[in-house]
Amino acid sequence: MMRSRAILAAALLLAMPLAANAQDETARPNLEGFWNLPFAQTPAVPEDLKAKLPPDTAVLDDTGAYEFPRGEFGGLKLKPETLAKAEKWDPSQEMALTRVCHPPAVVYAMQGPFPFEIHQTGELIVIRYEYFDQTRLVFMDGRGHPPEDAPHSAMGHSIGHWDGDELVVDTTHISASTITNNGLDHSENIRMVERYRLGEDGQKLYAIQWFEDPDTLDNAGARFLEWNKQEGQYIYPYECDPSFALEYQEIDGKD
Amino acid sequence: MNRPALILAASLAVFAGAAAKAHHSFAVYFDGEKIITLKGTVKSFRFTNPHGLIVLEVADDEGKRVEWRSETNAPVVLMRRGWRRDSVKPGETITIDGWPARDGKPYIRLRSAKKADGKMIGTTLFDETDG
Repeated sequence: MMRSRAILAAALLLAMPLAANAQDETARPNLEGFWNLPFAQTPAVPEDLKAKLPPDTAVLDDTGAYEFPRGEFGGLKLKPETLAKAEKWDPSQEMALTRVCHPPAVVYAMQGPFPFEIHQTGELIVIRYEYFDQTRLVFMDGRGHPPEDAPHSAMGHSIGHWDGDELVVDTTHISASTITNNGLDHSENIRMVERYRLGEDGQKLYAIQWFEDPDTLDNAGARFLEWNKQEGQYIYPYECDPSFALEYQEIDGKD
Repeated sequence: MNRPALILAASLAVFAGAAAKAHHSFAVYFDGEKIITLKGTVKSFRFTNPHGLIVLEVADDEGKRVEWRSETNAPVVLMRRGWRRDSVKPGETITIDGWPARDGKPYIRLRSAKKADGKMIGTTLFDETDG
């Protein structure tokens, strides 16, 4: 029952009219560029875009620099075992040598305060995130997702289509990872759907990020997102150095 | 363990507002309601992601040297705020402020750093508006 409700909700958000696929490629919005978060602002996502979220969706108010403290999950309904795991979470493990350069998966990573570049063709959209040097491919050539048992990854497998002037991206095969960076993890069966829309002057990019993971949550989650276009900028190499963790461990040795 | 009360030239202030997202949880690691200030001698400065790090030797009230570590924002962020790999040099005296670790360890998240002449390093503070 829960699974079928989630599938219906995702279908509503995905809404792929035939007219959208028939749209002339040259008339499609151009999302190319360097996009950065407008810090310390509530995302000004258009109301009609927000209204496309399915019902029973908790909108998380942790976009950008703000993070939830321990024990706060923004209205997400955690299954008992998920909550128990979150309560046992040991944050010091995030500073271990084996973890410090482990990139979070796309559900959390895409909404953080780091910029990204979009490179766009008719059949493929590439999103390069500065955060942990992650690259994401959004296939626009009509292919489907791979089999359920195909390898999972932090960026997952994304397929996209145009719905009028909105880019709709459906992502599966995402590795289990954090949702809120405070002990709440999703499973590898999470599904994420995003809708992107350019602002009228082409200098702003708005999005809604929706996700459902019946393995860990009893409702769906979403975020509203907004980025500014910055001409002439490009993402820098991140090249995470795990030896940073040794510095943190060194503190105890000075007690 | 080094206690905040032992820090020479330390101050404590209430800081209203949340603070910045890190690769690890800022809200869990650091007290976003407090700012402490430290003046000392730089032992080392690393400029690698996920965080830069300043190791600062600070004299306490009794003259004992205490080693503090100050985690910075990711250097990709620092670069856009005017910081460079050699912005802080071993042996120089600087004053830093930031949010203290919740566990009481001599570890803070950097908000700002000033040279001995009082000039701020970089173009702006790192605060709740930063990545």
